[in-house]
Amino acid sequence: MKKIVLLIAMAVSVTMNAQVTRVSLQASGLTCSMCSNSINKALKTLDFVQEVDADVKTYTFEISFKPNAYVDFDMIKKKVENAGFSVVSFEATIVFNNVHVTNNQPVTIEDKTFLFVNINDQSLDGVKKIKVLDKGFVSPKEYKRNALPVSPPRIYYATI
Amino acid sequence: MKQPFLIVLIFLSLRGKGQELFAVTEPASNIATGSIGFRVDHLIMNEINSSKINYHLIPEIIVGVSKKLMIQGNVFFSNRTTKFKAEGGSVYAKYRFLSNDAMQRHFRMAAFGRISRNNSDIHQEEINMYGHNSGIEVGLVATQLLRKVALSSSVSVLKAVDNGNNNKYLYGSKNSNAVNYTFSVGKLMLPKEYKDYRQTNINLMAEFLTQVNTGSGKYYMDIAPAVQMIFNSQSRIDIGYRAELSSTLLRTAPNGFFIRLEYNFFNVFK
Repeated sequence: MKKIVLLIAMAVSVTMNAQVTRVSLQASGLTCSMCSNSINKALKTLDFVQEVDADVKTYTFEISFKPNAYVDFDMIKKKVENAGFSVVSFEATIVFNNVHVTNNQPVTIEDKTFLFVNINDQSLDGVKKIKVLDKGFVSPKEYKRNALPVSPPRIYYATI
Repeated sequence: MKQPFLIVLIFLSLRGKGQELFAVTEPASNIATGSIGFRVDHLIMNEINSSKINYHLIPEIIVGVSKKLMIQGNVFFSNRTTKFKAEGGSVYAKYRFLSNDAMQRHFRMAAFGRISRNNSDIHQEEINMYGHNSGIEVGLVATQLLRKVALSSSVSVLKAVDNGNNNKYLYGSKNSNAVNYTFSVGKLMLPKEYKDYRQTNINLMAEFLTQVNTGSGKYYMDIAPAVQMIFNSQSRIDIGYRAELSSTLLRTAPNGFFIRLEYNFFNVFK
C-alpha cells in the first residue's frame, strides 16, 4: 500500500512540475468591437477557461484557467479562427518548478512537450512567460521569418 | 454624378478606422462559427409616377456554419400588389476562401450565391433577387479592412426566371441575365478609441450599386449612403437611403429609405 502511495506521489510530482496559469493572446484581422466580442464570447465557451479579460483597444485577451484543468492551446487558437480571425501573439504564463530546458531539445512540461528555440540552457523556476511559435500562433510573417520545421503533433515550438 | 464622388472624398479625407458591415452588400467576412444572427430589413421605396410607397419587410436568419461558410435564409413580404403579404424567400450562402490578416487590417475574398423564389408579378426590367425576382445570383466579393476604413467590391451574375403564380419573366430570355457591380466604403466614426464592448459604435458608409443587363445593355447606377449604430457589440441598426443616379432600365421604385435591425447571438452551437 505504501508503495502505491509513493508511486502516486511520484507520478503527481512529475506531472506537477509546472502549471499554465494564464494565456495572453493578441488577435488580428479586426477593428470592430463586435468582431472582438465574438472572439471574447467564443473563448469563454471553453470548459477549461475561468475568465477572459478582453482589451478592446489592443485586441488582446487575457485568459485565466480553472485550477488543474488541461489547457488546450490548439482549442484556444481554433476559437479565434472560428470567430473569423487570426492569432498573432500567444504568450503562456507558466509556474515552473525547477525545470531544466535546453535549446532545441524537447522538454515535457506538465501535459505538453515544448521545443525551446533561441534560448540559453537554463533552469526555470517560478513564474515565467513563454511565447508559442507554431503556425497559427504567430503572424504568418513571423512564422516565415522563424523558418521552423513543422513540429510533430503536441509538440510546441516556444521561446522565452 | 458629382454628389457621390463628393461623398467618397469626404469619407476618404476623414481619418480613422473602418467598418465592413455594410447595409446593402455583404463583405467577404462571415459571422463567427456557431453564431446566429436575426435581421429585419425594411425597405420603404417610393413608387415612380404614383404616391404609393412600396414597403418591403424582410426577416432573415444568419447562421455561421464554419469559419469559412455562412448561410442566410429570408422571407420577402411586401405591400406592392393589393395587400401586404409574403411573396417569396431566398437562401444565400457565402464561402470565404482567402483571408490575409494583420493587425487591424485584413484582405479577404469570398464566393457567394443566392437562390430566390418570388410569387409576385414581374413589373420592372431591373433584376432583383432581394424581393422581386425568382432566379439565381452568384458572385465574388473582396474586402480590404484598413484600420477604421473598409473597402469592399463585388461582381455577380444574375439569371432571372419566371416568378411563381404563373408570373412570366416579361422581357425575353435574352434579357434575363445581368451583372451586378458594387463598391462599398465604410468608416468607423465613433468611438475615437475603444475602451469596452458597451460603447456604441457609429459607422458611416456609402455603397455604389450598378447593374448591367447583358442582353439589352441597359443599366442602372445607384448610391446608398447609410449610418450604422452598433450597440453593446451585439446588435445594430442601419438607416440609409438608396437613390438612383442614372438608369436606362425600367424600374418602378428605385428610390427610398431602408432600415436594418440586427441582433447576434454568439456561440449558439459549436
